[in-house]
Amino acid sequence: MAELRGGLPAGMPEQVELKEVPFFPQYEYQCGPAALATALGAAGAKVTAEQLVPEVYLPARKGSLQVEMLAAARRHGMVSYLLAPRFIDTLRELAAGNPVVVLEDYAPFGTWHYAVAVGYDYEKGDMILRSGEKEREVQEFATFELLWRRSDYWAMVVMPPDRIPATADEERWLSAVAALEHAGGAASARTAYETFLKRWPQNTGAAIGLANAHHALGELRQAERVLRDAAQRDPDSVVVLNNLAQTLSDQNRDAEALPFIERAVALGGPHAGAADQTRQSILGRLAQRKN
Amino acid sequence: MKSTFATVVCRVLAALMIWTPYQIAQAGMIGTEQVVQSTQSERGNVAAFMSRGEVASQLQAFGIDQKTAQDRVASLSDEEVRALSGKIDSLPAGAVDGWVWVVVVLLIAGAVWWAWKR
Repeated sequence: MAELRGGLPAGMPEQVELKEVPFFPQYEYQCGPAALATALGAAGAKVTAEQLVPEVYLPARKGSLQVEMLAAARRHGMVSYLLAPRFIDTLRELAAGNPVVVLEDYAPFGTWHYAVAVGYDYEKGDMILRSGEKEREVQEFATFELLWRRSDYWAMVVMPPDRIPATADEERWLSAVAALEHAGGAASARTAYETFLKRWPQNTGAAIGLANAHHALGELRQAERVLRDAAQRDPDSVVVLNNLAQTLSDQNRDAEALPFIERAVALGGPHAGAADQTRQSILGRLAQRKN
Repeated sequence: MKSTFATVVCRVLAALMIWTPYQIAQAGMIGTEQVVQSTQSERGNVAAFMSRGEVASQLQAFGIDQKTAQDRVASLSDEEVRALSGKIDSLPAGAVDGWVWVVVVLLIAGAVWWAWKR
């Protein structure tokens, strides 16, 4: 908040309101599903608050947990990203067109509450939110901060896989995309990794992710191409070498795979165990073919 | 004797059925999460794998059915599984009832207005 007293950073608009963001009024305690449906809708997913109840609502807690809010967005092919706990980051995302789900604390009157920030007016010092049963709730910056502070400024954005948040940190955004891949969204994750690599082409982790997504989708040729490029840039990555060898082996090219996996095993490190297993399996298949 | 054996087999199969959906990494490929979370060790992976089952049953205890709980846990990253495990009761759960915030916002707005006018 203090960082804002001196004015907005150059280039940021004084006023933003994302009017096209949909609104889902909450029922009873279900502000989690309502806020998530709002953010997912803005990202382009067609889902109602009611449909999200079984995905995020926890009946015995009469509410939704923060990590489940992040997780549920992945089930709809989106990347969920936890913002850094800074007021300015939330404003930056709004300025970039991304609504921000925030967790507010109404204690001692009530309890935790999810709302979606959709705009601000710096001159007036107002935040504009979709909140509870109100489609357009205006909270003064001071009020908003008071309610928001208790959650340690918890805020998330929900992004379609072909976009990157305005405040994205390279490493944390990669983890967010990897979490989408892990949750079973290989096709969306493939797009997200491609988008990532356009911005940060040197990132070996993202190349590994893209290859894994291709592999999961049965696109072995593409996985191989991505891993070969990565191996040229980063010849000492055990994971790249192991996964390249495995991808070749999956195409029945075990003899070609062997030098890569030998090199991976020789390099050692925390993935040496996995590399050794891959080597055994490749050697086994080569021996089988000879017999 | 035979029935004891059958019981053991059944239990093992049941455990495998619960866990199998979490083993989504393809054989031989090292998963992206293991690269991204640099601190992760193989022991950490095993722990996360075990606690997925635990977190699923903890979620069930808070009023959702088994299948739903498993699906929800499957969307979590390993880090998130660790964050949830054993803490579902104490973590914040966004829940405020409709009318409460109206009262609160009015009260705060009133206080700010009062402080301003004074």
